[in-house]
Amino acid sequence: MMRTLLLLIPALVLSAQTAPVHKAAATSPAPMTNFKISGNANAAVEIDAYTDYECPHCARFFAEFMPQFSADYIKTGKVKFVHRDFPITQIHPHAQLGARFANAAGELGFYDIVVNQIFKTQDAWSLYGKNTGDIDASVAQVLPPGAMQKVRELVKTDPRLDESVKTDVDMAMNVDHINSTPTIVVVSNGKREPISTIMQMPYSIFKQYLDQKLAGK
Amino acid sequence: MNRIIHQGNLHRWLIAGRLILGVIFVVAAYMKLKAPWIEFAGSLNAFELLPEWALEPVAKTLPWAELALGVALISGVWQRWFSLIASLLLALFFTVMVRSYIVGLKIDCGCFGPGDALGPKTLARDFSMLALAVVVTIGSFRGQNKMRPVIA
Repeated sequence: MMRTLLLLIPALVLSAQTAPVHKAAATSPAPMTNFKISGNANAAVEIDAYTDYECPHCARFFAEFMPQFSADYIKTGKVKFVHRDFPITQIHPHAQLGARFANAAGELGFYDIVVNQIFKTQDAWSLYGKNTGDIDASVAQVLPPGAMQKVRELVKTDPRLDESVKTDVDMAMNVDHINSTPTIVVVSNGKREPISTIMQMPYSIFKQYLDQKLAGK
Repeated sequence: MNRIIHQGNLHRWLIAGRLILGVIFVVAAYMKLKAPWIEFAGSLNAFELLPEWALEPVAKTLPWAELALGVALISGVWQRWFSLIASLLLALFFTVMVRSYIVGLKIDCGCFGPGDALGPKTLARDFSMLALAVVVTIGSFRGQNKMRPVIA
């Protein structure tokens, strides 16, 4: 009995989290981007990261760069971090679907865990691995069944998922002029500085650069 | 008379070659300087040649050196020496690029900023630039030596 009650608690929490979101989905056309933002919203320096879920370098970016960067700058509130979608659909047929799954999960409060899972399991579904396109199976491994069902519904039906991606892609093309992923953009004093060689440098060099920015140099 | 005309043509070709080289160096410098220094540091590190401590100083100074060299080549001051420096610098770049290509590095050359993948096209382009610089250098030294008795 106790076990059943314990199992019910996450389900109740989940339904409490998701109910207003569904209402919002029905009434608001605004892009869903808040879950893509983490760290200190008022920080002087903002880091935007453009990634493509089917790009192998982006998977490396999330596995190798992000854990240390998150511990040093996001969790400490030194920067504002914005994860942006830039699916290069001409060469990556499953990238858009990956973004839809991640953004649907984000709407339910599971963004980070699903983003990491999609990248971590890239070999199982991507063009460079088994090429099954079965992102659903990967995401289902980390979400409770109830949440997974809601994610599936959103992925199938919610047009705002694509609008959210389009907003990021427009930003990449028209503002930051990005042509590869992963690319990060360091925003400080109103200036946006794209860095496309982020995976070609030691973390310590990026840290040196970012510390200079934070010190106002 | 024919010799004078021939020398005049050679002189014009040398000026054209020097100006082309100068503009190439200025453009290469501009493409790097408009991005933050760390972008070029990443390109440099991809060649796996520089120690970590050297990345920041080289990334910050090399584009300015290229700009100064480009301006000097365009202006024509100390033409022989600046064309010699350009030749040596391009020989160094070309050697590094060939070595990286042979060992199979899949990287951007970073020559004109990001998004310039190292491959046969970039190698051919840089070899052409090196050949031009060598021709301008040799021509400058020869031209200078031939001019001396005439002036005297």
